[in-house]
Amino acid sequence: MSNDEQRILDTSGLCCPMPVVKTNLEMKKMVSGESVKIIVTDVGAKKDLPSWCERTGNRLVSMTEEDGGVSFVIEKA
Amino acid sequence: MKSMAIIIRDDSYDKLLTPLAFAYLEASGGTQVDMLFVNWSVLALTEKGAKEIKINGPHADQEAWVRSQTEAAGLPSDINTILKALKETGCVNMYACSLAAKIFGVDEANLIPEAEEIVDASWFLHEKAVKADHYQYF
Repeated sequence: MSNDEQRILDTSGLCCPMPVVKTNLEMKKMVSGESVKIIVTDVGAKKDLPSWCERTGNRLVSMTEEDGGVSFVIEKA
Repeated sequence: MKSMAIIIRDDSYDKLLTPLAFAYLEASGGTQVDMLFVNWSVLALTEKGAKEIKINGPHADQEAWVRSQTEAAGLPSDINTILKALKETGCVNMYACSLAAKIFGVDEANLIPEAEEIVDASWFLHEKAVKADHYQYF
């Protein structure tokens, strides 16, 4: 993946625990400092993913409400 | 939370989903999850038993719908596949209760490779449940 290409993980339609599970799996493919945009439609993930970031030390860069969902940008610790 | 212990006793498909989902969720955050399968649920730790798991009781006739909803949510609908996914996190250990194993016919020969071993409940309670940061019973 090139430096200017945003990594995207689309979990639309998936419910707990899968947005967190898939985020964790995606992070394992990434290097420290790399970020991923995660698209979620599961309402629970609005609290779940920030909490997951806090527990795992990964940085929540942004959380944006969008039509029908939320997108997060998370940077790998 | 660094560690969590879960004891599961029920083998009804719908009732297994919650503890397995909780384990998957917490393991994905790096929490060490130790699970003891007691009573009928011990059969989930065998390939044949996992395949035969059904929804029991008043919701039995809704099994196909629940399985399709589970798949739509992103979880595998098959219990054995979920157990494999849990093991692949590297943070989940699954144990079979020795009394349940004796009663329901589980031994080292039919225990799935994802399961650690058959243990006495006392060992699990003292070495895992008491020492865990959090404990749940399903």
